[in-house]
Amino acid sequence: NMFFVTLVKFPMSIVVCVQLALHVFGDLLDSITVDVASECHRIARLGLERNLDEEEEELRLSAQARARIADPSNNVEANGKYVVDIFGQTHPPVANEIFDCMNCGRSIMAGRFAPHLEKCMGKGRKARLKATRSSTAAQNRYSRGSPVSTYSPYSSTASINRLSNGNPRAATGECSNGTVEEP
Amino acid sequence: MLKNRRQSVNRPPTPDLTDDQAKVPTLQEVINIKLIESGEKEQLMELVREKLTECGWKDEMETICRAYIKKQGRKNVTLDELVRVITPKGRASIPDSIKAELLQRIRTFLVSAAL
Repeated sequence: NMFFVTLVKFPMSIVVCVQLALHVFGDLLDSITVDVASECHRIARLGLERNLDEEEEELRLSAQARARIADPSNNVEANGKYVVDIFGQTHPPVANEIFDCMNCGRSIMAGRFAPHLEKCMGKGRKARLKATRSSTAAQNRYSRGSPVSTYSPYSSTASINRLSNGNPRAATGECSNGTVEEP
Repeated sequence: MLKNRRQSVNRPPTPDLTDDQAKVPTLQEVINIKLIESGEKEQLMELVREKLTECGWKDEMETICRAYIKKQGRKNVTLDELVRVITPKGRASIPDSIKAELLQRIRTFLVSAAL
């Protein structure tokens, strides 16, 4: 194959080789470019780019809003109590939507929800003190992992023995320090 | 004989056998055939695609396309236009490292194809 023999043997062939490589590279690049353009073209013509229309709509709305702001009749100070935002909407200082508290079920106003929840869930100072007597004692009884109470080691290991599958290891000395070993 | 049959294929006229020049393929054509037959062309394509996506080149081209489409109106754009728009920018913004790597690989192939 005369072409390739000359390619390797003669120095000129190096130039040819580089040129060929560039040509091949250019070919690859052109193919990929067409692919990218083709995909964009398809999406555009089929109207699949939802963002495009939404963006145009947004631009239109904000241009509208800007015009409204520029209009002196919408001056903020003149209106006094209520402030008008760029879409021409007014909002009350305290959110007045009403819904049901998911903890206690009462009807609460949205703007008053945070303080209500503090009291309702026992996060506030007064509520926490009130809850100490009733709920924390119950919490200690059912704590997970190693039995916390060192006041009654026998009762905890006894219950472990009952729960174990009869493995003699659990019944003997291993658990005497109070830790639980899962069989 | 065969002329009775309906022609189902559009055949170009058989080249004149006396015209030897027309038969000799260019070096580029020969290389291209070797690239395709060996599967190297496909591998190179995948490699280039991957690298150009990774470095953000593809996204850059898509952004340019979208901007052009937005300006012209999406129903007024032809594929040719888009290709014409992004080709020069595309060629100019190939990262040097990627170009160098690919060229190296292609040259290696050319040398091995010559042996």
